[in-house]
Amino acid sequence: MAVVIDHLYKAYEEKNGEMQYVLNDLNLTMEKGEFICVLGKSGCGKSTLLNCLAGYLKPDKGVIAVDGTPINGPGPERGVVFQQHALFPWRTVLKNVQFGLEIKGIKTARETAMKYIDMVGLNGYENKFPSGLSGGMAQRVGIARALANDPEVLLMDEPLGALDALTRDSMRREIERIWKLTEKTILFITHSVPEAVFLADRVIILNKGKIQLDQKIDLPRSRNINDPRFTTYVQQFESAITGVSSDSVITE
Amino acid sequence: MKRKNKAVSYQTAALMRAKQDKYFKMIALIGFLFLWEVFGRVNLHTLWIEPKFLPMPSEIILAAVTYIQAGTFWGHVGISLYRVFIGFLIGVVLAVIIGGGIASFRFVDNIISPILNLFGPIPIMAFLPMFVLWFGIGESSKIILVTYATIIYMVSYVSSGIKNTDSVLIRSASSLGAGPVQIFFKVKFQSALPHIFEGMKGALGAAFGAMVVAEMMGASTGLGYIIVFSKNWFKMSDMFMAAIVIGLLYSLIFAVLSLIESRLFRWKTSGANSAVES
Repeated sequence: MAVVIDHLYKAYEEKNGEMQYVLNDLNLTMEKGEFICVLGKSGCGKSTLLNCLAGYLKPDKGVIAVDGTPINGPGPERGVVFQQHALFPWRTVLKNVQFGLEIKGIKTARETAMKYIDMVGLNGYENKFPSGLSGGMAQRVGIARALANDPEVLLMDEPLGALDALTRDSMRREIERIWKLTEKTILFITHSVPEAVFLADRVIILNKGKIQLDQKIDLPRSRNINDPRFTTYVQQFESAITGVSSDSVITE
Repeated sequence: MKRKNKAVSYQTAALMRAKQDKYFKMIALIGFLFLWEVFGRVNLHTLWIEPKFLPMPSEIILAAVTYIQAGTFWGHVGISLYRVFIGFLIGVVLAVIIGGGIASFRFVDNIISPILNLFGPIPIMAFLPMFVLWFGIGESSKIILVTYATIIYMVSYVSSGIKNTDSVLIRSASSLGAGPVQIFFKVKFQSALPHIFEGMKGALGAAFGAMVVAEMMGASTGLGYIIVFSKNWFKMSDMFMAAIVIGLLYSLIFAVLSLIESRLFRWKTSGANSAVES
């Protein structure tokens, strides 16, 4: 088991002496190599969950363990890909991807970084600065940078949220391809239900800080979005999130 | 004109305009000096103003030539440059250390900031007599005044630059395994560097001001000294000459700083026009 989340509680404020839990007794186990997508309305606690996993937030109660070791603050074994690519603007693509390896003092940083730049399809762009990249390309660099550090688990916080529809579609396929290639454990947060059904081994729906639904997606990859079973999953999740029959809701 | 019909890109047009403006500005400057010269020459006959009090550009150049021929010109320029440059350099280093401390540790902020706020608004010239009494009339009191002026001006640029580092960059560095020290040098300092340069360029003016004041009070060399010395002998053209040389030196160092800046921060604009969708 790559990641174990055990009875996690997190509150930001209290009301009438009662803690307002954003994460309320949350339990989750991620298998090694598993791709989990987290869905839920705004305020359901999915960002809080990711921030706790990344170590940016300290949970009030409960334990998060990666490979059996409880986490304490951010660490290189949990790679993070942000919605806004979060690249260092003063570093070239190559130097961005090298950052983690540089910190570790690895001598072959350059070769390793080049390998991952190649993997995300940005060969030839290694000496560009982030200001010269499009949104999709910058996000690829963000993914390469996280992967170059060889983390146990990759946390992705709506990485495609800031991209336009076409780029988003091609990036989904890219992420699936990279995941297959690297066999990483991934926790992927998204607003898009079809995106989750397309990418995930397991879809988790959060509601009021608890897991409302934990569903394995039993479809062969690469998935066809026109497959009736695909649409059935999408409808099932949409009605679970909104609480109404899916006919009346348009989702991205 | 045929060229008007030729299609030019927006960038080319802007470049051409900038070039034209440059020539225009040069002509304006030359025209101003020319009119000044003409006015001076006419004034020699009409005596609207006592000619001694308004030297012409040619007389100012002559004053410089006289100093150069006497062999004292470069000595004065050199000592002024030395004072302002050394003082400025030490000031920049100290301002980065102090500003970094303020931005990184709350207790440093709590100790230093009130003191800076107390002394910061006081004009630098007010401290010169104290500095002379403490550090003597030698080089140290002048260099320390320049250093002090640089620090006072720059610290807030450094500390606010470091404090304004995008938190998502700090987070991403920490998730890549960077500790607090590495985050400071590899992320916060790098991200603050453009602000630090902005502060340096502003502080250069303050440093020059401090240098001139220090030389005007209690020095026997330097461009500031020439101004005071010439005043006692009604040598207006020497005063103008020294003031103009001070301005030229300032522009020179400012240009060097700007050059380093544009080299250092190429990442800001790099390929802004070459972004490709993918």
